[in-house]
Amino acid sequence: MDLGLSTDPNTPILEVEDLNISFYTRSGEIPAVMDFSMTVMPGETMGLVGESGCGKSTVSLGIMQYLGNNGQIKSGSIKFMGRDMSSFSREELRDIRGSKISMVYQEPMASLNPAMKIGRQLNEVLTLHEGLSEEEAAKRSASMLDAVRLPDPDRIMGAYPHQLSGGQQQRVVISMALLSKPQLLLLDEPTTALDVTVEAGIVELIQDLAREFGTSMIFVSHNLGLILETCDRITVMYSGEAVEEGDINTVFDNMRHPYTKGLLRSIPVPGADKYAKPLVAIPGQLPLPHERPVGCNFGPRCQHYDEEACNKGLVPMAEVGHRHWSRCARIDEIDWDADVAAGVIDEPIEVGDVVVSVEGLKKHYAVSSGMFGGGDTRTVKANENLSFNAREAETVAIVGESGCGKSTFAKVLMGLETATEGEVTLGNLDIAHLPVEKRDAKTVSSVQMVFQNPFDTLNPSMTIGDQIVRVLEQFEIGDSDADRENKMLELLDLVKLPREFARRMPRQLSGGQKQRIGIARAFAGRPKLVVADEPVSALDVSVQAAVTKLLTDIQRESRTTMLFISHDLGVVRYLSDRIVVMYLGRIMEQGKTEDIFAPPYHPYTEALLSAVPVADTHVKKRHVVLEGELPSPLTPLPGCPFQTRCQFAIPGKCDSQLPPAREMGEGHIIACHLEPETLKEMEPVIVVEDNVAAG
Amino acid sequence: MKPETISTIEVIITSVIRFWPVWAALAVSLTSGYFIRERLGTFGRLYGSPVGLAGLAIVLFWVFTALFADVIAVLGPLEQSFTGGMKKAPIGSIDSESGILFLWGADNLARDIFSRVVYGSRIVLIIAPAATLIAYMVGSTLGLPAGYYTGWIDTAMSFLANLVLAFPVILLFYLLVTPEVRIPTMYNFGLFEVPWSIPIGMAALFFLFPIIFLCLMWWTKYEKAPQKLMIRGGITLVIGLWLYVGLVFQSPIAPLSLDPNELNVFAAVVLGSSPGVFRIVRGLTMDIKTRDYVAAAQTRGERPWYIMLWEILPNARGPLIVDFCLRIGYTTILLGTLGFFGLGLQPESPDWGSMINHGRSFVRLTSTIHLALFPALALMTLVLGLNLLADGLREESLKD
Repeated sequence: MDLGLSTDPNTPILEVEDLNISFYTRSGEIPAVMDFSMTVMPGETMGLVGESGCGKSTVSLGIMQYLGNNGQIKSGSIKFMGRDMSSFSREELRDIRGSKISMVYQEPMASLNPAMKIGRQLNEVLTLHEGLSEEEAAKRSASMLDAVRLPDPDRIMGAYPHQLSGGQQQRVVISMALLSKPQLLLLDEPTTALDVTVEAGIVELIQDLAREFGTSMIFVSHNLGLILETCDRITVMYSGEAVEEGDINTVFDNMRHPYTKGLLRSIPVPGADKYAKPLVAIPGQLPLPHERPVGCNFGPRCQHYDEEACNKGLVPMAEVGHRHWSRCARIDEIDWDADVAAGVIDEPIEVGDVVVSVEGLKKHYAVSSGMFGGGDTRTVKANENLSFNAREAETVAIVGESGCGKSTFAKVLMGLETATEGEVTLGNLDIAHLPVEKRDAKTVSSVQMVFQNPFDTLNPSMTIGDQIVRVLEQFEIGDSDADRENKMLELLDLVKLPREFARRMPRQLSGGQKQRIGIARAFAGRPKLVVADEPVSALDVSVQAAVTKLLTDIQRESRTTMLFISHDLGVVRYLSDRIVVMYLGRIMEQGKTEDIFAPPYHPYTEALLSAVPVADTHVKKRHVVLEGELPSPLTPLPGCPFQTRCQFAIPGKCDSQLPPAREMGEGHIIACHLEPETLKEMEPVIVVEDNVAAG
Repeated sequence: MKPETISTIEVIITSVIRFWPVWAALAVSLTSGYFIRERLGTFGRLYGSPVGLAGLAIVLFWVFTALFADVIAVLGPLEQSFTGGMKKAPIGSIDSESGILFLWGADNLARDIFSRVVYGSRIVLIIAPAATLIAYMVGSTLGLPAGYYTGWIDTAMSFLANLVLAFPVILLFYLLVTPEVRIPTMYNFGLFEVPWSIPIGMAALFFLFPIIFLCLMWWTKYEKAPQKLMIRGGITLVIGLWLYVGLVFQSPIAPLSLDPNELNVFAAVVLGSSPGVFRIVRGLTMDIKTRDYVAAAQTRGERPWYIMLWEILPNARGPLIVDFCLRIGYTTILLGTLGFFGLGLQPESPDWGSMINHGRSFVRLTSTIHLALFPALALMTLVLGLNLLADGLREESLKD
């Protein structure tokens, strides 16, 4: 059908003007997007950045006209290729969805129909939108699977979604979105659910496809480093409004809005060091929809806030340069080159004696494949021969992707599992074979954990105060109820939360506040060792900085050893003194942070460093992208576990013998067959230009 | 001689008027509830769902009827009229001698159906929720470990539950009705006598569960505070066992007792409902056990039973409340079914199931259909109300 769309290269593919979207719920109208404008020209990739709750997903759903039962576009217009989208009829909308505008969502497993083979789902796009026959559609689908770099397209066409890995599924979803050669591709956090090295592959794919097919893209994400790598332009959103829009390099280097500046300053980048240039958190919290201020939404949290200028009424977007807009009332008055007030710069923490010593730790799980327990019993070797030390007041980071065994290791430390072999010595007690039921209260209180998901870490049916008091009771701390009540209030002070929170229920707290309670709980018994399992990865960027700072402050005061499990190398670089890199249950490299981030590298570390997106325009990264997927820990090959993806693999050696541990000096150990000289000659992956970040 | 009757319109109007305490109470409770609905939690949210509100209103109607039964009913549930011609008197009959209006007619023993239905609501509204509550204790105490530990415990208990579910429960009820099984034999222990029969055995088992459940709750929560544990555990055990010997063994030292028929009913109903509750609790446990707060409890050394009772069960209360409402409805119907088989309460008891049973033989003639019609309508509306209430609760919990 003729849709009246313009293909003139000067007509924007998408033109959003003064868009207002509201949700109508039981408690009234909630404005989600206000006064939002954005223009995407053909062939451009626009990044949409903001924290959770800022409205970026609502915008992309609104573009698709897919707001659900209680969302409505109150006012404003969305023009797709020159034609106003509200003028499309239902049939016309169905026609363009999937063929002219496509969307890729966050969870690949949820986007694919689990009951249909991949081939059939792909063919559906073509038979529906272009009226092709099954055979022609199958041919096009197979060639598109090839274009997204999936090996063996024919096998994948005949497979079901659950038979593919996460990265493969997301590639399938991308190919499905690109099959009908759409003009506009919307990607809503497409790589958040994937591992870092897999994410790097997808990002590279998206860049190449954009060049090849000339598709315009809107890339929604909260990860500024990712946006820097993939997009041409960027729109920053805060609390439902666009606050800055412009070319990517302009915005990163010459930002003109305090929120953008605050965001960039609260993310750890390779040049940042926790002692010299600490992260600065944006104070305050996102306003609730009905508590938004009269004037600038960011006002209450902005250090340049001025009652006269900023709180008089809605602040409009003003042009500050060529295709660069900002919604700040005091653009001309603020000195954008001055650094953000950093506050107190701390002294480095003195590290003490060894507190935890891990020797040859092995954890194997027996998995039987038959029904009723019969059949072959195979072993999953989750941890193999782990050995390292951690000292008092030190932060050791354990880095690795899914399946590397870091969560299993955390479970062994906590006593939720017992080791198959090996020792973990805490003080003078071996806890590797001591399950938590058999540990006494003192031991239990000295090894505690901060969990990953703040939304699930607290019991939703108990008040905050009761939960903390229960922890104190279990650890046998305090002589009476009143005493414990006091200690609980002191813990709330420790994590900088108001004392009234003791009477609140978890659902009344935000994610960052809940995580603080999780931290309070872990530190309640003055532990010797705290295992933090990705404690900030589920939080918004601006809150991450505050919680990270809290952890370091508490650690400084209580001299606790922290074992920090993460895959976010930026935070790891910022926080940790030593790093242990794990892959498929084995330690690949360990050493001081500076040694890990500079050559010599283990080949896996090299790939990891290159895969992490960096939100700093002064950083140049060498590109090392790993082929293939993470192998299954069920059937490990003999020799080095990294052999399947390593670009330096030596046939005959790496596939038959375990790599030796090479001492590179000062506790830096690399497990690789390559000679130390070869390792020392490797080029650095991350190079910081100028001396901007180092000083 | 046929008694005088009033017209249909008058019957309808009088019916409405007679329930005036109930209408008043409904108005007061629903409007005041509206103003404090923020603090009423799940029930407060019902005000957003017309379906749920209708269900709540119907259920409350019968609850208030049970409460105000003495005021609403005209005669006692067992009172018979000895005026000639009053047996199976039609709707709206007036007793010529006493002048009392038998609004919904009289049954075959010349008892006022209206009053019997009203008093019957008391019995239904006490037995059905109580039996459901005990079934919940049994089902939770067994379902929580099955879902938490999985493994052989789960396999064994699920097998038992499936066995009970698969077994034709009607046959079981017939078994319980036969005199050899039903009538207890007395065992003399010198100081006291203990009656024993299969139903008493079953009841002895089931009624232990609430005591076990409560004791487990106190023990896990106050393990490290012996004083509090002593107080709470002590009170629970003393009161619990005191009531227990009364209810199960009809011991004269206890304040409450059940006669054998009521005991049979309880035993049968709890047996029939427990496996269903077991399954639901087990499924919810398996889901909630994967949450981080359960792992946090494990890492601070909490006992498994603490985790089951204080971390998992309170967070499963959403679906369980909905199921509870529905299950009361099923139990009410079950009471009616049991009445059919003579496993109901005393034959003269005004519970609706028995009334329907006795009125069964009279439904063929339209002139006597009212003997079964009114209790059936009452039963139907109550179950409908419970269903709507459960529906509304579930809907509201899913909405923003």
